Amino acid sequence: MTSTLKIEGLRVEVAGKEVLRGFDLAMSSGEVHAIMGPNGSGKSTLAHALAGHPGYKVLDGSVTIDDVELLELSATDRARHGLLLALQQPMEIPGVRPIDLLVAAGANEANLRERMSDEARSVELRPDVLDRFVNVDLSGGERKRAEMVQFGILRPKFAVLDEIDSGLDVDALGAVARRLRRATTEWDCGIMAITHFRRLLLELVPTMIHVVSGGRVVATGGPELSEVLEKDGYEPFRVTNA
Amino acid sequence: MKIFAESATSFIASRPDAVSRRVAWSGFEAAGLPQVSDEVWRYAPLGDLELDRFAVADHPLKGEDSNFAKELCRRAGMVVRVTDGFCVDNSSPIDGVTVDVDESSTSLSGDILSTHYENDTFSLLNAALSPATTVIRIAAGTIVEKPIVVLNVTNGSSSFPRTHIELGRGANATVVEYFEGGTNALVVPLSEYQIGENAGLQLITYQRLAPSAWHVARTTGFLGRDARLRQAVIGMGGHYNRSRNDAQMLGLGSENELRTTFLGSGSQVHDFRTHQLHVAGRSHSTLLSKGAVADDSRSVYTGLIEIEKGAKRTDARQTNHNLLLSPTAHADSVPNLDIKENDVMCAHASSVGPLDELQRWYIESRGVSRDDAERLMIQGFFNEMLVALPLELAELVEADVTSVLASVRIVTP
Repeated sequence: MTSTLKIEGLRVEVAGKEVLRGFDLAMSSGEVHAIMGPNGSGKSTLAHALAGHPGYKVLDGSVTIDDVELLELSATDRARHGLLLALQQPMEIPGVRPIDLLVAAGANEANLRERMSDEARSVELRPDVLDRFVNVDLSGGERKRAEMVQFGILRPKFAVLDEIDSGLDVDALGAVARRLRRATTEWDCGIMAITHFRRLLLELVPTMIHVVSGGRVVATGGPELSEVLEKDGYEPFRVTNA
Repeated sequence: MKIFAESATSFIASRPDAVSRRVAWSGFEAAGLPQVSDEVWRYAPLGDLELDRFAVADHPLKGEDSNFAKELCRRAGMVVRVTDGFCVDNSSPIDGVTVDVDESSTSLSGDILSTHYENDTFSLLNAALSPATTVIRIAAGTIVEKPIVVLNVTNGSSSFPRTHIELGRGANATVVEYFEGGTNALVVPLSEYQIGENAGLQLITYQRLAPSAWHVARTTGFLGRDARLRQAVIGMGGHYNRSRNDAQMLGLGSENELRTTFLGSGSQVHDFRTHQLHVAGRSHSTLLSKGAVADDSRSVYTGLIEIEKGAKRTDARQTNHNLLLSPTAHADSVPNLDIKENDVMCAHASSVGPLDELQRWYIESRGVSRDDAERLMIQGFFNEMLVALPLELAELVEADVTSVLASVRIVTP
């Protein structure tokens, strides 16, 4: 069954400042949407607001998965309705093991350790890293790949990846992109990839690219849009907020 | 204090070293039980402590080990069994490890116990009333692969276990001092650890006494040159749980890492005291105290770092985090520094509050319910204490903590 993630007129405030100013986007399962834009354009705010981060205040708008309003739900229930955020800076949770986190999140316990190891290997992460506490003493790149292990086990309908490519070397980046690509057919996962760089998109071929500036989408197009961005940068798309 | 005193005097009279025991007992009688007006006892529910509820036993009583104790022993390299303070099994299957029952009244500091602990009422009681010291010696150069479990069970109405662990030069071992039983009992353990040059001791003290027990424990590590003591103290049981954990860095380059944690529920009081004394230079101490209080329970943490003149390039750190799991729970944190040397690094931090909101959000954003997220985080406090244990043993203790945690009500603001 095809699912739809719909964001309409989303306005979000962070520390008293309105950062998202009427953001619209719709995507279906199995699709890859890239969100690109300069620093401060609201990309990370979008990711955090979708996942219900307590520091982000939604002023207006709607976010639905198959007509269920997510903004009225707790962070827990948003995840249970199929949304998973892979963070740019995944948090350290001292004393909590990844496997216990995943079990509490409802992962099937059968062969869980083996499946986690398989997921780790698919993104070139040493499986023994998963015996440590969640993200504790992990490098930036290891944390990103540890988030990918959670992604592979939890199999969300829609994944929001906040700069999953930063901190990864070219080989790891390719492995992550291939894992994500595979998910779009394996369980028809819809992927929203927030990124600065075109590199990720070479293997993770996007269905659509959205350019964000000033807290809203200012241009939408196919993969060819990333070539324009490569050549001319974001300047042609920049909007200023008076 | 009739019943207790009579049973104590007749016990003392029956022991071979009655003379030194009488000195300790007189010290106890002269000092009497502490009063809440005494600053270091102000949080103890001393009004509930009637010594005549307890009697001093002259022999160990039989009892059934808990399933947890059985599992723990099954996974140990060797088990030293101490019942009601009496060492009842001191056989050692490990080369280089011996267990002796020593009737002497000396402390590993070299002093007589009653002198060394003259200002500590409960340690004086232990000096007078412990059947004997259980002495575990690990010979120089011996690396003990599997953990040694000291199984302390209290079946009677009081017990005064005394343990010495001595590691020779370059030796290394992991020891679990485990306490259970103690229904309506007074349990007063006194442990000392001598860690020789370049030796390493990983020590886990797991206190799982009955909720009605009075537990007043004291441990002291004496560290030689380049010696390492990594100690984790986990307090779960007891009506009143007091744990004083000291370390003396006597040798250059010695290192002490102390982690303490507790889970308070009902009307429990957890009372943790620490004293890291840096005598030698280039010595390190790291102290992490984390605890959680639920229901009407309360906790107090008082830690002193003392650095003597001449202990140059010492590095001492102390961190204390307390979690409040109900609006009627209470935690106090009192860090103290006493530094007589200039060339040192010293830091302390403490906090009292609810769980970290962002960590909780991160866990919830994976689809974990709030209740489960909070339990995972609290469980994490304890899991962090167990890093020195082999995984198989750590998982056993973690599961035991989970079972206790499952019955605790968490109310967040």
